[in-house]
Amino acid sequence: MSTAGKVIKCKAAVLWGPKQPFSIEEVEVATPKAYEVRIKIIATGICRTDDHAIKGILLANFPVILGHEGAGIVESIGEGVTTVKPGDKVIPLCLPQCGKCSSCINPNGNFCVKADITGRGVLSDGTSRFTCKGKPVYHFSSTSTFTEYTVVEEIAVTKIDASAPLEKVCLIGCGFSTGYGAAMKTAKVTPGSTCVVFGLGGVGLSVIIGCKVAGATRIIGVDLNKDKFEKAKAVGATECISPKDYTKPISEVLKEMTGDSVGYTFEAVGRLETMTDALASCHMSYGTSVIVGLPPSATMCTYDPMLLFTGRTWKGSTFGGWKSKDDLPKIVTDFLAKKFDFDELITHVLPFNEIEEGFNLLYKGESIRAVLVM
Amino acid sequence: MSSAGKVIKCKAAVLWGLKQPFSIEEVEVAPPKACEVRIKILATGICRTDEHAISGAMTTKFPVIVGHEATGVVESIGEGVTSVKPGDKVIPLCVPQCGICSNCLKPDSNYCDMLDIVGKGVLSDGTSRFTCKGKPVYHYMNTSTFTEYTVVRDVAVAKIDAAAPPEKACLFGCAFTTGYGAAINTAKVTPGSTCAVFGLGGVGLSVIIGCKIAGASRIIGVDINPRKFEKAKAVGATECVNPKDHTKPISEVLKEMTGDSVRYTFEVTGNLDTMIDALASCHKNCGMSVVVGDPPASSVLTFDPMLVFDGRTWKGCIFGGWKPVNDLPKLVSDFMAKKFNLDELVTHILPFDKIEEGFNLLKKGESIRTVLTFQH
Repeated sequence: MSTAGKVIKCKAAVLWGPKQPFSIEEVEVATPKAYEVRIKIIATGICRTDDHAIKGILLANFPVILGHEGAGIVESIGEGVTTVKPGDKVIPLCLPQCGKCSSCINPNGNFCVKADITGRGVLSDGTSRFTCKGKPVYHFSSTSTFTEYTVVEEIAVTKIDASAPLEKVCLIGCGFSTGYGAAMKTAKVTPGSTCVVFGLGGVGLSVIIGCKVAGATRIIGVDLNKDKFEKAKAVGATECISPKDYTKPISEVLKEMTGDSVGYTFEAVGRLETMTDALASCHMSYGTSVIVGLPPSATMCTYDPMLLFTGRTWKGSTFGGWKSKDDLPKIVTDFLAKKFDFDELITHVLPFNEIEEGFNLLYKGESIRAVLVM
Repeated sequence: MSSAGKVIKCKAAVLWGLKQPFSIEEVEVAPPKACEVRIKILATGICRTDEHAISGAMTTKFPVIVGHEATGVVESIGEGVTSVKPGDKVIPLCVPQCGICSNCLKPDSNYCDMLDIVGKGVLSDGTSRFTCKGKPVYHYMNTSTFTEYTVVRDVAVAKIDAAAPPEKACLFGCAFTTGYGAAINTAKVTPGSTCAVFGLGGVGLSVIIGCKIAGASRIIGVDINPRKFEKAKAVGATECVNPKDHTKPISEVLKEMTGDSVRYTFEVTGNLDTMIDALASCHKNCGMSVVVGDPPASSVLTFDPMLVFDGRTWKGCIFGGWKPVNDLPKLVSDFMAKKFNLDELVTHILPFDKIEEGFNLLKKGESIRTVLTFQH
C-alpha cells in the first residue's frame, strides 16, 4: 500500500537535548512539500560531526534528528521535483547544491549558500517535517538520516547508480567524499609527491585513499592512537607515526624523515593545534596544507604568520571540494568500477536500534565507520 | 686606475643601532673573496622593509648597512665567479638563487637556502666585507645597497640589460618584482576577476599592475591614506576604498560593493590585522588571499579558522614567486619593451646623502618610491 501523500509513522533516534543519549522514538514524518523529497533511509554512517552536535560543539536546535551520511530510496516527491523520482536510489546531501549562488556558479566553489551551518534545522519554509510526541523535531545538516524516513529539499539529494550497495555508498554522503576530495580536488596531489595525513579516522583514511589514487609515492599517517596505523597502511599509508613517540615538534620529525620534502599535509581531526602543526609540516616554500576537520565553533587559531609568508598555501576544504549533486553520483560510479575500495573504513555494521553502541565505538576509538542499517 | 683587488674607501649610510638615524660615513669595502662580486651602486630605492630593520620589526645586527633594492655595475669579481664580469649592469638579489639547494631545484619554490631575512648579516665565510671606524659593519638581506660599493655572493646578483635606466631598474630588486609576481605567479589572477589590494605603496601598486596585465576587470585599492588613491588609479585600480570611511568591517564593505565576488586579495602592508581583513575579504569558498607584506618578526596571528575552513586559500609569497637569477633579466627586458610602466612608482629622486629625507617622505606617506642616486 502506497505511503505517498500520507504522514509516515516510523522509528527515529531523537536527541532531546545536548549531551543526552539517543532516544529511539516513533516519529511522524510529514509528506514532502513542493521541491522536497521523502526518502526511506536504508543505511547511515556515524560521523564525528554528529557527535559534535551532541556535545554542543556544533550548533543545532533541539530536539533534533541527527545523522547526515546516509543512503536510501525515494519514497515520494513533492510538487515540482524533477531530478529524482520514487524508487530512485539516492544520497541525501549534507552540503546541498542550489546551482544559483555564487559558490555554485563558480567552477571551483561548492559551499552552497543553502548549507545549514548554523543549525537552523528547518526546511525552506521555516518548518520541520518531523514531529514526536506532539512536538516539532528539528532537521540536521539538510539531511537527518538517523531515521527510517526523512524529508529533504530537492537541492539536497542526488540520484545514484541503481546497482550501488547502499550500506557501503552511504559513506560517500560524507566521510569518504570529504577526505577523498581533499586530496583529489582541493590539494590536487601530484604523482610522486609526499603527503602527510593528521588524523586517521574515516576522513583521514579517505584522504590517504585519495593521495594514493593521485599517485603520491609517500603517504605518512599521523595519529596519537597507534591502533589506527594498521588500517591506515591497509588503505595506502606507506608509514605511520605517533607524535607521542617524540619530544621534538612533529613538523621537525617529518622534515627529518622526508629530507624536507612534504608537498601536502591534511588536517583531518578538527583541532586548532593540529592545524598549525599540519601547516608547519609542509614545505615552507611550495607546501600546501589542507584543513579538512571542522574546527570547534567560536574558537580562534593562533599561529606564526611567517609560516605562511615564506610561501606555504593554507586551504580549507568543505566536503572535499565536490559540487555535491553533480559529483557524488560520479564517485559512486567510480566506486562500482573499483577505482578505489573503502571496505577498510566500514568496521562495524549494526542494526539501527544499536545507535548508542555505534557511538560508543566511536568514543572508544574502536571504530572507523559504524554503519547502521534500518 | 683600477680598484680591483684593493680595499675601496667610499660613502655609506651606516645604522649604528636600533631606531637611530643614518650616519653617512666613510667605510672600507674589502675586495670580493671567492664567489663574491663587488658592485658599484648606481641607484637604490627606499623600501618599507628597510625601515623595519631600523624599527626592529625585522631582526638585524648592528652596525649595519641596509638597503636591498638597487641597480649597479660590477666593479670586480672574486675567484670562481662566472655569471657576471666587471662592467656588467646588475641587480643585487635580496632573494638569492644558488641553483643547487633543494628549494632552487624545485620548479615551484624560490626560498633559496641562502636567503637571509633573519639578520645573519655576513657572507659565506661568516665575515663582513665592510668596516667603519675600525669596526665590522654587517650586511643586510644578502645585498646592502645604501653604500657606494657593496659586496655580495655571486648567487645574489643578476645581470640585466645594459641599457636599463638605473633609477627605474632598481625597482626590480624588490618592489615591482614582488608585487607583480604576487599577482601573476602566486595568485595567477584570471581574466575578468575581481581583485582587492590592501596597501597602496610601491609593492601594492605593482600588484595592481600585475592584476591589470592578468586581465582582472575590477581592481579595488584599499588604504587608510586617501592620498594614495590617485596613483593607484593611475596604474590600474578601478576604484579605491578607505576603511576609515566605514564603520562596518572592510570585508563586508567589499562584499557589498562587489556582490560577494572578490576572487583575489593581496595583503601588502605586513600588518597582522590587515592580513586577516584581506583573508576575510575574498570569497569564502573560492577566494584566495596572498600575503605579500612581511609580518613583524616574532609575531603571532590569531584568527577564526572558519575563514579558511569554508574553502578560502591563504598563501604566502616571497619575491613574487620568481626565481631571481632566471627571471629578473626577463622582467627588465619586458620593461625595456614597454610591457609595463614604472613611472608612477618613482615619485622622488634624491642624491644619496639625502637618505634621511627619503625615509621621512616614506614615514609621512608622501612618497611611493624614493630612489637615491650616487654621483660617482
